[in-house]
Formats: sequence, C-alpha cells, structure tokens
Amino acid sequence: MIAVALAVAWRLVYKAFTLPSFLLPALLFPMIFFLGFAGALGRVAEVPGFRYGPGYEAFQFAFVLLQSAAMAGVFTGFNIAHDFERGFARRLLIAAPRRSGIVAGYVLATMARWAVNITIVFVVAMLVGMSIHGGPVDMFGLLVLGFTLNVVGALWAAGVAMRLRSAQAGPVMQLPIFLLIFLAPVFVPLDLLQGWIHAVATVNPFTHLLAAARSLLAGGTSDVALAFAIVVPLALVFAVWALTGLRRAEAAGG
Amino acid sequence: MVEKADGARRNDIAVHGLAKQFRKGPRAVDGIDLYVAPGEIYGFLGPNGAGKSTTVHMLTTLLPPSAGTARVGGHDVAREGPRVRTIIGAALQEAALDPFLSGRNHLRLQGALHRLSRSERKRRGDELLERVGLTHAADRRVQTYSGGMKRRLDLALALVHHPAILFLDEPTTGLDPQSRNALWVEVARLAREEGVTIFLTTQYLEEADVLADRVGIIDRGRIVAEGTPAELKAEIGRPTLQVIPADPEERGRIADVLDRFGEPVAGAPGSLAIRLNRDADLTDVVRALDTEGVRVEHLELDAPSLDDVFLAKTGHRLEGQEAPEPVAG
Repeated sequence: MIAVALAVAWRLVYKAFTLPSFLLPALLFPMIFFLGFAGALGRVAEVPGFRYGPGYEAFQFAFVLLQSAAMAGVFTGFNIAHDFERGFARRLLIAAPRRSGIVAGYVLATMARWAVNITIVFVVAMLVGMSIHGGPVDMFGLLVLGFTLNVVGALWAAGVAMRLRSAQAGPVMQLPIFLLIFLAPVFVPLDLLQGWIHAVATVNPFTHLLAAARSLLAGGTSDVALAFAIVVPLALVFAVWALTGLRRAEAAGG
Repeated sequence: MVEKADGARRNDIAVHGLAKQFRKGPRAVDGIDLYVAPGEIYGFLGPNGAGKSTTVHMLTTLLPPSAGTARVGGHDVAREGPRVRTIIGAALQEAALDPFLSGRNHLRLQGALHRLSRSERKRRGDELLERVGLTHAADRRVQTYSGGMKRRLDLALALVHHPAILFLDEPTTGLDPQSRNALWVEVARLAREEGVTIFLTTQYLEEADVLADRVGIIDRGRIVAEGTPAELKAEIGRPTLQVIPADPEERGRIADVLDRFGEPVAGAPGSLAIRLNRDADLTDVVRALDTEGVRVEHLELDAPSLDDVFLAKTGHRLEGQEAPEPVAG
C-alpha cells in the first residue's frame, strides 16, 4: 500500500512542480487573500473592540493558512475527478494491488503541495511584517492543525470525486467548504459580527478552528483543544467517506 | 511469474458462468465459460457492444462480476483481486495515459506501482522503450505522441512487471498497418518466447486469424463458437463462389446454373454468390456455365473465413457492423 501511495503522490507532486498551471492556482489564491485582506483591510485593527496582539497580518494569516489547507484538498479532488474522467484512474486501479493506497497517495500529494504553498505564503507574510507571539510549540500545533484540516479537505474531496467521477464533482466539493470558510469571522473577530452572520458564525465549526489558529499565533491556547476535537474525528469520518467512495468507483469499473 | 506447488507456471484463465448485469442496464455478459491455457493467445472476437470489454474488465478486476466465477492465474477475480493484479498486465481499449507525463515517467510510475526497485525501474523502462521503439521520444510529453505511439507505450506499461498474463483490449484499433504488424510481432513473441498467456479482444477477423491459437466468438454477451481458427472454418467447411456476369442481362441464367451447386449467399455488389454444396466442385460449375453458353467477367472461389463462421453462428456479419442490439461493453 505504501508503494502505491508514494507512486500516486509522486505523479501529482512531479506535475505540480514541473507544470506551473498545476501549482500556481493553489499558491495564488492564499497569496492574494493574504496580501489583499491584510493590506486593504489593515485598518480594521483600529476598530474599537478589535483586540488581537500580533496584529492584523497574523489575524489574516491564520485564515489564509486554514483556507489554503482546506482548499488544497479540493484541488486534489479536481485531480481525482479528472483522472476518472480521462480513464487514468483505471490504470491505477488495475496496477495497484492495494487500492486504498491510491487514496493515501492523493492525500500525501495534497499535503506535499500545501506544505510548499503555505511555506511560501509564510515567508511573504514575514517579509511584509507579520508579527508572531507564539513559540515553537505553538507553531508546531498550528502546523499540525493545518495539516489535519488539509487531510480532512482531501478526504472529503476524494470521496465526492470518486463517487461522481467527473468534473461535475467540482461544485459539490467546493461549495460546502466555501460556505464554512466564509460564514466564519474572517475579517473581524466574532464579537464584532452582528445579526445573522454572528449567529451562523457562532455555530460554524470553522470559527473554532480559526480562533484556535489565531490563538496559537498569539501564543495562547484558546479553542485549541476544541479545534482538534473537531478536525481529528472529521479526518476519521472522511477517511471512511473516501474509502467507501473508492469502493463505489471500483463497483462502477473506474 | 506465478508458480504452482510443483514449480510449473500457473498462468491460465478459467471462467465459468461469468455474467455482468449492469444496474438499470443490459446483461452485457451472459454466463460465459472459457479456458485459456498457459502461454496461449486467445482471441476474443465480436462486434462493438458484444461484451468483449466488459469481460476483460471483469477478468482484470476492474468490474465485479454479477454471477459466475473467474480464476486468473489460479486466483479468484472477485475474492483475490490484489493477487490477480500482481500477475496481470493490461492495455485497455483507450490508452489511459497522462498527457503531461513523458513516456519514461509513465514507465517509472508503473514500475513504482508494482514495487520495482529504483534501479530495476530504470533498467526495465529503458529496455521496454527500446523494444516498442520509443527511445527517441522517451522524454517527450505523451500529449505530443501519435495514436500509434500511445498504443505502443500502453503495451510497454502493461509489461513493466513481467506479467504472466496479458490482457489486450482491441490493441490495434486505429493503428496504421505498419504499427499493427509491429504489435502483432511483439504479441506473438511474448507468447512464444516468454510464455505469456494473452487474452486479446478484437473486432478484426484478420487479427484473430493471424495471432490467436484459439478464438472465442462472442455475440450479445454469449460465446457462440470457440476453437482454433482452422477448426472453426472447418465447421463451416464449404467455400464461397462469386461470379460477376459479363452481360448483366445474363444474371438470371447464371443464377439458375449456380442454384444447382449451392445455396445463395450475400456477395459483392453486382455479383452472384453461392456457398458450394459439399459434393460440388469448381470445375463442375465452370463446365455448367460453359454448357449454358453464358460468359462471366469474374469468377472467384473464397475459402471460408472467420467472418463466414461468424455469419453462420450469429446470422449476421462481423466486419464493419455493430451488434444488432448493442449492450454495454
């Protein structure tokens, strides 16, 4: 299974780093979000009630980190749907002795690509003056949170892509993640939101992930345990979702 | 290669009552039985939609059967899929290639999927690129390959891990005659020199005739005939005689003469054709036409072909025709 996973991952990583069209969209989105939001909305930090020590750049970086982690999974979902649509998945299904390695390979590739992307965004964030109050342990926790969400996104998208096996999977993969991400306190803290968006954001699990990421960047622990209590079970649930998607694809003959 | 307890290779295919019923769809394969001996080239012949590809998909573990059993290399395709996949190679109807990878990278990927070591992947990749004549294009992206090059790469990919059993699903469809002949030579070499068992689907009679040790004819999901090409033709036994009158107005008189020597069959446009009776002889027909005083422009005696076998077994011709009631596969 490991050999299959590494082979599948190698192909996607190789393409990502030899074909700019494969890497750039996944890199440009978080970069544009960070530079756009942190730059254009920087004065939000001066709004009464905005209390976040590290500053607005770090406030936005937490969002960009989680958003890119989740959406990187969706990009992999597009790859999977494309492989099924073009028949390449059949090659993998016939060659792979243990087919669960195919899912593992797609997830590994997602993690590798996100690792590179978020490293670049992080370097840019530091260059534009982002301040971090958390220590190495906090940063490690932030990375683990990001990678776990990255895996959740990849498994969710894999399950959808393997069920639909066509480009039609795109909106189905994207929309729920998009809604969860943007119905959270992205631009201002939860306390400053009002009306229906506050009510929705309060019950949105992504709000807690965002709060945990911001807390870790600020050197705190608020919402961190809750965030892991959300993403770890989700990873397990979506692992089952992805593997049952693989079984559906097998039953359909690829 | 798969080894039996006594050390002999176990690379046969045994199929009993194999069927595939698609949900809300047709019964694409309807209870077929077949056996392919080790090292044999088995030609699976039938029109589009007859059930050839569906059968291959079941035997290569891509599709679960609805009923029946199939053992490939001694392993049950439904229960021992991982074991089956380690001993088979497959080149399916549409070469499933990544347009953005080079030929060499495809071979590297395929070798990695089959757990070949890094050095073995490189050695085997170079060897296969050479064998299928793609060394010069090895580092080009597949999107720049012609259809023939893609087919050859697909065959090389199927051979990376020295499979004991090879499935080729219409491997020469769309190929030019030169590429087709080269592929035939390689397929025959694999069976004769390396002892690879080959299950080959085709809708080309010539391909089955030239390559296959034995042929199974499938129509509407059922095997309607099976045997060596020679045995199948011998079953039909009688040659076809085609006559083109020199004067179209003499068609009727020529038809009357021919009727005495055999039953009318479809012939080329403008011709009259009969399948000769067992006791009829070409010289008798020529004498009778001469006695009748009719002149012929063209007279041709055709030995029975697999198409004649197909016609006799199914009631319709194979070449250039789709199955009358297409089914998936």
